[in-house]
Amino acid sequence: MTTLRTPDPPVAPPASATRVRRRDRPVGRRRKSQPEAFAFLTPWLLGAVALTVGPMVVSLYLSFTDYDLFTSPKWVGFGNFAHMFGGDDRYLQSVKVTLIYVLVSVPLKLAVSLLVAMLLNTRRSANGFYRAAFYAPSLLGASVAAALVWRALFMGGGPVNELLAFFGWHTPSWVDDPQFSLASIVLLGVWQFGAPMVIFLAGLKQIPAELHEAAAIDGAGAFRRFRHITLPMLSPVIFFNLVMEAIHAFQAFTPAFVIGGGRGGPADADLFYTLYLFEVGFQDFRMGYASAMAWVLLVVIAIVTAIVFRTAKLWVFYDDAEDKK
Amino acid sequence: MIALPRTARSFGWHVLCLVIVAVVLYPLVWLAFASVKPPDEILSRLALLPTRFVFDGYTKGWEGAADVGFGRFFLNSFLVAGLSVAANVLSCSLAAFAFARLKFRFRGALFAFMITTLMLPYHVTLIPQYVIFQQAGLVNTFVPLILPKLLATEAFFVFLIVQFMRGIPRELDEAAIIDGCSVYRTFWHVVLPLSKPALVTTSIFTFIWTWNDFFTQMVYLNDTEKFTVPLGLRLFVDTSSESNFGAMFAMSALALVPIVLFFLAFQRLLVEGVSTSGLKG
Amino acid sequence: MGRTTERRTRGRGVAALAVVVPLLLTGVAACGSDSGGGGGDVTITFVWWGSDGRANLTKKAVELFQRKNPKIKVQTSFSAYAAYWEKLATQTAGGKPPDVLNVDSRYLAEYGGRNVLADLNSGAGKAISLADVNPELAATGVYQGKRYAVPWAQNTPAMIYDAAAFMAAGADPAKGMTWDQFADAARKAGAAGTARGVTDFGILDTTLEIWLRQQGKQFYTPEGKLGFTGDDLRRYWELAGKFRDTKAASPADVTASYNTSPEQAPLGKKLTSSEFAYDNLLPAYQKANGKPLNVAPYPSGADGDTGQYRRPSMFLSVSARSQQQEAAAKLVDFLVNDPEVGKIVGTDRGLAPNLKVRAQLAATATGNDKTLYDYEAALEPKLGAAPPVPPKGAGAIQKLLQRTYEEVAFGRMSVDDAVNRFMTEAQKGLS
Repeated sequence: MTTLRTPDPPVAPPASATRVRRRDRPVGRRRKSQPEAFAFLTPWLLGAVALTVGPMVVSLYLSFTDYDLFTSPKWVGFGNFAHMFGGDDRYLQSVKVTLIYVLVSVPLKLAVSLLVAMLLNTRRSANGFYRAAFYAPSLLGASVAAALVWRALFMGGGPVNELLAFFGWHTPSWVDDPQFSLASIVLLGVWQFGAPMVIFLAGLKQIPAELHEAAAIDGAGAFRRFRHITLPMLSPVIFFNLVMEAIHAFQAFTPAFVIGGGRGGPADADLFYTLYLFEVGFQDFRMGYASAMAWVLLVVIAIVTAIVFRTAKLWVFYDDAEDKK
Repeated sequence: MIALPRTARSFGWHVLCLVIVAVVLYPLVWLAFASVKPPDEILSRLALLPTRFVFDGYTKGWEGAADVGFGRFFLNSFLVAGLSVAANVLSCSLAAFAFARLKFRFRGALFAFMITTLMLPYHVTLIPQYVIFQQAGLVNTFVPLILPKLLATEAFFVFLIVQFMRGIPRELDEAAIIDGCSVYRTFWHVVLPLSKPALVTTSIFTFIWTWNDFFTQMVYLNDTEKFTVPLGLRLFVDTSSESNFGAMFAMSALALVPIVLFFLAFQRLLVEGVSTSGLKG
Repeated sequence: MGRTTERRTRGRGVAALAVVVPLLLTGVAACGSDSGGGGGDVTITFVWWGSDGRANLTKKAVELFQRKNPKIKVQTSFSAYAAYWEKLATQTAGGKPPDVLNVDSRYLAEYGGRNVLADLNSGAGKAISLADVNPELAATGVYQGKRYAVPWAQNTPAMIYDAAAFMAAGADPAKGMTWDQFADAARKAGAAGTARGVTDFGILDTTLEIWLRQQGKQFYTPEGKLGFTGDDLRRYWELAGKFRDTKAASPADVTASYNTSPEQAPLGKKLTSSEFAYDNLLPAYQKANGKPLNVAPYPSGADGDTGQYRRPSMFLSVSARSQQQEAAAKLVDFLVNDPEVGKIVGTDRGLAPNLKVRAQLAATATGNDKTLYDYEAALEPKLGAAPPVPPKGAGAIQKLLQRTYEEVAFGRMSVDDAVNRFMTEAQKGLS
């Protein structure tokens, strides 16, 4: 995962000089590259128009209608949105479940992945093995197979029950109990900390060892070095991971679908936003309402991301100074 | 810490890592052993090792569901994932090059739009998209699964390659252009080769995500003969005529094998790319 | 530096391509061989829900149809119950539902009322004969005066139970028992072993319906409104609560794991000794549970009325948008009336709707099949007619009942609050 690294890392630029504008300058100073640019963009543009913008416009229209998939849509103005925030208990439940999931699983996952990445950021033998091993769960992603295994592990009488009982804590079937069910899905998310970890690791390797060595000579302890060198130098990677993981968490579907038995789990404890949206649209045939929900989700994700991007200027340091000449 | 001898610290580090490995890999090891346990032992015993090895799960599971063998599901998944990788790498690198290197009108706006689609819940476009493919007579084919990749709708990968290309020293392609290379040749012969680590990353992720994708495939594929592995797995789990945990876990384990192999094969490329060009450079 | 390394390793990209390309080619070849077959003049699609065992039987029946009608090719597909409705909805949304499809009574109004299903009383559907079908059964599948479906099988809501466990508790459910007797037997059966006496039925809409019928009420009125009051529901949940409190019924987490597939239901997983379901599911439960199971009538009120009825277990419908309505109708007629189909599919979906076919099969039945025929034969005079087609939204109400009762079972909500929530949401959903 070399997503954010540069092939030729700069030789330890002073930290103050690395803070630069994010937008780099296009090369077209000498020649106009416009026609070529659109040649390169053609596939993407086609997709954007036919598969993204067009369908988005249609679904935006649908969000202001009653549409049951069978008869033509009926205009209801803001009725769908009004119903969402006044009178639909399940909608509010799905918001609650999703927020808990995002707020708990994302920080937990990032913390675990950063700690493990720092642990692996050495030149000891077997390093590659550990990295591959920690990464393995991420390979499964949101697969049906992974969720099935998880369900079996946390089922009544399954290994987790048995293990906890061994330590004297008798729990019900995690996946079938409203108090534990969401926790099992959060754990599934955290278990897959490998992907952000590998990205963190690639970022950590970009931090010139000289910085740490110089700081150590100056008498800075491990924590101070972490706080004043690692964190700032790693901030673009943290930023990237935070945005990606948050977006993923908001849209989580398959684990909740499989573990919650396709219906939102016991007493709606796993009723993720996307799951409710799916149920409303595809099982209750309320596509208008589902479209409205999708648009609210989109707006919320956009706002959250915008906040992260805005505040990023305060804490993210970009290291592509050589671009700016 | 500093007082500790080097070997002791190293030993402690290995112990810590191995503990994490044990926790992290437990579910996978559990799955591997569950797939060869006698059915009545799978959930009832905490012990990893079965009292006796039973491979019925694999033979029974491989027969698949409803006359369609699991081999067919694998073949379909390979086809879809393979085509998706090729389509995604090609289309996303084209778009990424334009965003990272070329000047054109509305560049900022289009880039911002691209980032927006990154956050787009796919539910927003699902039904209208479905209608488009249905009108074109393409439902129940692999086209709806692959065409979006050919049209670079997965903004994540465009973003990823853009980020990478921005890191490539600009002198290189500027030099190529001064030497008289067209933009196309510069893309093909200079920028693309230098972007290989990002393209490999794209390939790996595309493969894995496509392999694991459940929702889209469930929506677009109808015939059991066209089912992919996740659909086959769910069909199998939901509809097997007895509570056949052994076969379910056997097929789950098998479903993960190609991903692991794919990753291991490309892991070396990745490590090499990072360590040689990134660290020692 | 980095650049030269990049150039040196470029060859590996080619290697990666070399892996992908043959992969694609083999895949494409596989596709080619697939589309080559067939040769029928007309192709129709046919979908149903159920297990792979059911799929194997159904495919055999379809093969027979294709042999007898060489000009018609049938493409089949199936899923589990929940997945089936998900997929059918997307297909329908795209304007192309399958030509022939299975419909459940809970969804008949949903699809029929929205003109997705063809009226089989007119056009090509007239070719479908219901002459030999049990008249009361044949009367089902009609919604708002239009025949949107014909019944493909008949089953009866019933109780499936572990004979030995109830025998040990001193009860014989097959002979019929009152709810009080059943509560007592289930408590004893649960106390004796690791499995509780009965799967908590507070979540089951069918059981609620039967219980209502025992009191002369109904789940839905013919006008499509709820046929019971909040007070009725409260009493039903208090009955279930009595089972729960005495540990006769499954604990909440087991109840929450309930799934309509017998393999994954508590009785199938040996977590309980009895479960309310449908009689045709006996073999599936039997296979999953492993112990000898039997089928019994519902427990009754004091007057002995079990409230059971002749249920169309699975409907066959033809899509209104099908381009091949004649071929589709032909397949439906064949599946309903052909004696050989009856032999092939057996009692998997229930008893054959065609009484002549049913009589033939009953005469030669063995094992579980015989148990079913005997059970239904004994029950036949007592069975009522099926209730009217449930209104649009019945599928959602089935889930609403489960959800709200879970809140009660887990102790997160009082019965009164849960009843209020159910009634409010149900009335909203049905309006």
